[in-house]
Amino acid sequence: MKDIAEQEVIDIGDLDIDGFNAFALEQGWGDGMPLYPPTEAKVAQFVDTVRGDNRPFAPVPPRQIVPTVQALAANAVMAGCKPEYFPVVTAALRGLLDPDYNLHGNLATTHSCAPMVMVSGPARQDLKINFGSNCFGQGWQANATIGRAVGLILLNVAGAKPGEMDRSTQGNPAKYTFCFGENEEENPWTPYHVQRGFALTDSVVTVMSGEGPHNLNDHGSTTGDGLLTTFAGSMATPGANTIYGKGPCFVIIGPEHAATLARDGYTIESIRDELFKRSRVHASRISKENQETYISTGHKPDGDWFAIARSPQDIHVTVAGGPGKHSAFIPSFGGTTVASVRIAR
Amino acid sequence: MRIFNPTFGLSAAGGETMALKPVNWKSDAIALFSNSKPNARELLDGIRSKLGAFRPVENINFVAKNSASQPAPKDLIEEVAAKYRGALLAIAD
Repeated sequence: MKDIAEQEVIDIGDLDIDGFNAFALEQGWGDGMPLYPPTEAKVAQFVDTVRGDNRPFAPVPPRQIVPTVQALAANAVMAGCKPEYFPVVTAALRGLLDPDYNLHGNLATTHSCAPMVMVSGPARQDLKINFGSNCFGQGWQANATIGRAVGLILLNVAGAKPGEMDRSTQGNPAKYTFCFGENEEENPWTPYHVQRGFALTDSVVTVMSGEGPHNLNDHGSTTGDGLLTTFAGSMATPGANTIYGKGPCFVIIGPEHAATLARDGYTIESIRDELFKRSRVHASRISKENQETYISTGHKPDGDWFAIARSPQDIHVTVAGGPGKHSAFIPSFGGTTVASVRIAR
Repeated sequence: MRIFNPTFGLSAAGGETMALKPVNWKSDAIALFSNSKPNARELLDGIRSKLGAFRPVENINFVAKNSASQPAPKDLIEEVAAKYRGALLAIAD
């Protein structure tokens, strides 16, 4: 008889929901919160939603197995997804499998990174993905369970067991779930997925290996210039991986801040340029030892200043959230890329 | 109740195994492979010194990848496989 790990379908007898959860946790399948049983009938409902997307998945590192759609669906079921969320989950996985995303490095690192999952286009409305007030927070089934499904896939398919393959020193609440929508309706500029070359009518999922959101609070500034001073000053942090200057980051601007910036004539491009110039970290804020480490690994300063990105294009800008004078900075792991994938619907 | 296994997958092509001759740690050429994190070289230096207590160290060499956050290039892995019988990896911090 095969070990449980080698069986595609497992007969667990007449276990009730509590019994199933005890069994699943014993197998190491869980994130610590209750799970739904991935029954054959439930998994079949999910698989039906991705019939139009027959491309095989690449082997998922670090475990290097090729997942079946049923195994992916089992994770989405366990996470509490509705079947119609599943194409978002599979598109997110395709993004994570972009070789430049460097999934192995992201999962094995001591850094706290977790996949940031951002959804653009009509799927936000159709699936009720929150892109307004509290978009990074609780209360929305789609946000909570799509992000959770991605996390369970990384645990169960990729093999990123905490303390074993996942060597994160402290972890990050975003490892449970981190999914939100772009607020295109209050974006005075081009929606993010259109910036990336997709059609406005496409639904697109974008993933980045990020930290949790760092709040950018500015209630006082009434000009775009003032806001960018606050944003850049907060991004200029010597303790984030972005100081290595070799990876992307996101600046998610709240709608009220976005309106102020647009009123003062700022575009996505000029915001990126200004933030790149102003967010450099002065050497006086970095220990001598760290400076030596950065320089020895090719991260050379410009005079006395260390850039937080390779170029303005590494600073990705869009709009999300609701009323209020807050925005967010999301630094990345560093050795990674931002991947955007059209959702097959 | 029958459920789908959330960990199930197929082995990737090319995952075949081969029989290897055991490494003789007392004499074979060994690579000390750094992940390029701070202090990795110091750690491997210490291991080389410890090995020197019971074997020659002329054929124990240091190898490093370019970035701590990126995988080692395929060429580098193949070079290590061709030149050495064993490798000790410095991982994490």
